[in-house]
Amino acid sequence: MKRILAQAVKELAQFRRDRLTLALAFILPMMTLLIFGFAIRLEAKDIPLLVQDLDQSVLSRQYHDRLFATNLFTPVTWQGNPEIALDRSIARAIVVIPPDFSRRIIANKSSDIQVIVDGTDANNARVIRNSIKATTQFFLQSEHLAPTTASISAATRLWFNPGRQESLYIVPGVYGVVLWIFPSLLSAIAMVREKEKGTILQVYASDLSAGELILGKSLAYLVVGIGMAIGVIGLGSLIFHLGFVGDPTPLLLGTLLYLWASVMFGLMLGARTNNQNSAVQGVALVGFLTALLLSGFIYPLSNIPFPLSLVSNVIPARYFIEISRDAFVRGIGWSGIWFNLVIIFGLGMLLFTAARKALSRMQLGD
Amino acid sequence: MLRRLFAGRFWALVRKELQQIFRNKQLIVLLIFPPTIQLLIYGFALNPDVHHLKLGVVDYAQTAVSRSLVAAFTENQIFDAQTVTFDEKILTQQVETGKLAAGLVIPPDFSRAIANGDSATVQVFIDGVDANTAGIANGYINQIVQQFSRQQLQPDIPPLVSPQVIFFYNPGLTSSWFFVPGVMGLVVTLIGSVVSSITVVKEKDTGTLEQLLMTPAAAWEILLAKVVPLFVLLMGDVLLALTIGRVIFSVPFRGSFLLFMTLSGLYIFVGIGVGILLATLCQSQQQVVLTTFFINLPMVQLSGAIAPIETMPKFFQYLSIVNPLRHYIAIIRGILLKDVGLEALWFNVLALACFAIVLLTISIKRFRSQLS
Repeated sequence: MKRILAQAVKELAQFRRDRLTLALAFILPMMTLLIFGFAIRLEAKDIPLLVQDLDQSVLSRQYHDRLFATNLFTPVTWQGNPEIALDRSIARAIVVIPPDFSRRIIANKSSDIQVIVDGTDANNARVIRNSIKATTQFFLQSEHLAPTTASISAATRLWFNPGRQESLYIVPGVYGVVLWIFPSLLSAIAMVREKEKGTILQVYASDLSAGELILGKSLAYLVVGIGMAIGVIGLGSLIFHLGFVGDPTPLLLGTLLYLWASVMFGLMLGARTNNQNSAVQGVALVGFLTALLLSGFIYPLSNIPFPLSLVSNVIPARYFIEISRDAFVRGIGWSGIWFNLVIIFGLGMLLFTAARKALSRMQLGD
Repeated sequence: MLRRLFAGRFWALVRKELQQIFRNKQLIVLLIFPPTIQLLIYGFALNPDVHHLKLGVVDYAQTAVSRSLVAAFTENQIFDAQTVTFDEKILTQQVETGKLAAGLVIPPDFSRAIANGDSATVQVFIDGVDANTAGIANGYINQIVQQFSRQQLQPDIPPLVSPQVIFFYNPGLTSSWFFVPGVMGLVVTLIGSVVSSITVVKEKDTGTLEQLLMTPAAAWEILLAKVVPLFVLLMGDVLLALTIGRVIFSVPFRGSFLLFMTLSGLYIFVGIGVGILLATLCQSQQQVVLTTFFINLPMVQLSGAIAPIETMPKFFQYLSIVNPLRHYIAIIRGILLKDVGLEALWFNVLALACFAIVLLTISIKRFRSQLS
């Protein structure tokens, strides 16, 4: 135990001396938080929409106004072939109101409106289609062209996030991504640096065991990680107005476990690679990619297709993001997510074993 | 005679670079594996489709009408009716814990009200933690209920106005067609900057740069000899990414291949420019790798590769104009999906050309001043 502590103290002293890594440890996570937190928005608004009103009647103008009554679309003007406006991304969608629009409606005949949507971004294309359909329905009702009181209606409630603030979804996820990449990046560099500089040979020659070395290092970087977590979660919650909605203890304990697993992941990569370059590439590729894409951070986990969905089961970020969303949005507490903490701990133990194996293979036997 | 000597010296340098690159297994691995893995994971895992949402149903009415309402919900695969219970409490709990995405409660007097011509209300609650999915699901629910309602009232009369929607460029709305071109740009950026900075800095690290300087080769020759093989290898990476996109994700290639390769070449110069600039700023490989990480993160995030630019806050939309990757991705999507040429992409091409000239000028200047 004493040796572990001594190792941790040495590691922290070394860490403090290295300016670049120190800056990296605190500036990069904050920057990532701000960029992800502000720039990742999935809900479309202000989509450029080109309306060609070939009818120019009172009814068609009312339909036109209805389309822009929501903040989803902004009008664009374009002379000439509307398809070119779509080609050049000046408009994302085109609505063509036919010349006989009002005449047919007054004659009580059905009138078709042509809608051309840029399908490049499939997600937004779907949103555009649904919104135009809903707007049309609304137009018919407000103009008394359809039964105003629908005989069946849905009383819909959105739970947890009634205002559909996207930051409530994204920011707790950013905590998971940031607190996975940066602690592991730092610990991977620290581990591989010993190898590059050859100081690891001194460790091998000493009576410090591989397990003790790893625990010592992990303790040091756990401390760094806690500092990082306080900074990131504190700043994030302040800027994006997040607050605990339930019992904060699962998040507190979960963050500790998660940081520890992240540090272990870095040490494991550091123990398995031979230079800083590949260690950093490893973290960037494996750690970052999985935490970003296989964790349910951006799109629902259930959308990940079969072979990859199996991989997502061993991604700690996935479990942490659930804990973090529970603490800031859902608020169920221990009963809902105790299992996630167990899994994170288990994955951390696995990583620890892997790191120890990789190191002790090189160590001289007693 | 002089020219041949010149050419001979230049090619000798190029050969030296090529040999160094091919001997460096790590570099070759870096050129092949990360792009492949990134394309595959991004392409498969980024899937915004709202479908197969788990819907819990409590049907107190238990009549043909109420059952056909449930069927209307599941018809388009947007919802999967998971549990049909009689206990609203269980349903609430399951939505609360996130096991179900939405819950539907049909009241006992549902069918009677419809038969009498009264209005009936069904209760729907949606797990709103994922704001985007919840919003889209909400839209679908309203559509489904409205359509169902109309069918019950006046089944044969079509609505007076019906929008006929056509999707251009991607009629099947395959989401990977959007993401894969974005990731192609991302991959070239990441690999381009890392590889070029590493090859330059390596020389500094091992101190062989001084030796090169003592040879009669001029600074520009040394640099050009470094750039040419990198350029060729990165073009290979572009082709690799294109092949994966075509073969695995069946992303169409509708535009001009020549234009695509020319503009990719232009973008590779931007990537190499970034890499050499970083290399001149850093002293060791470690610093290079870390700073590239530092630069690439915002560059990728503000490029529209993952989250579309239109959905970003205005400030970030303007900021992304100075991001070369944004322009390259617009070019890839334009050529691959929309079959457009310079008439639509001129602004993006102009921007890339500016970036390439500025970055290369600065980085070559810095490189030369460090040499002398």
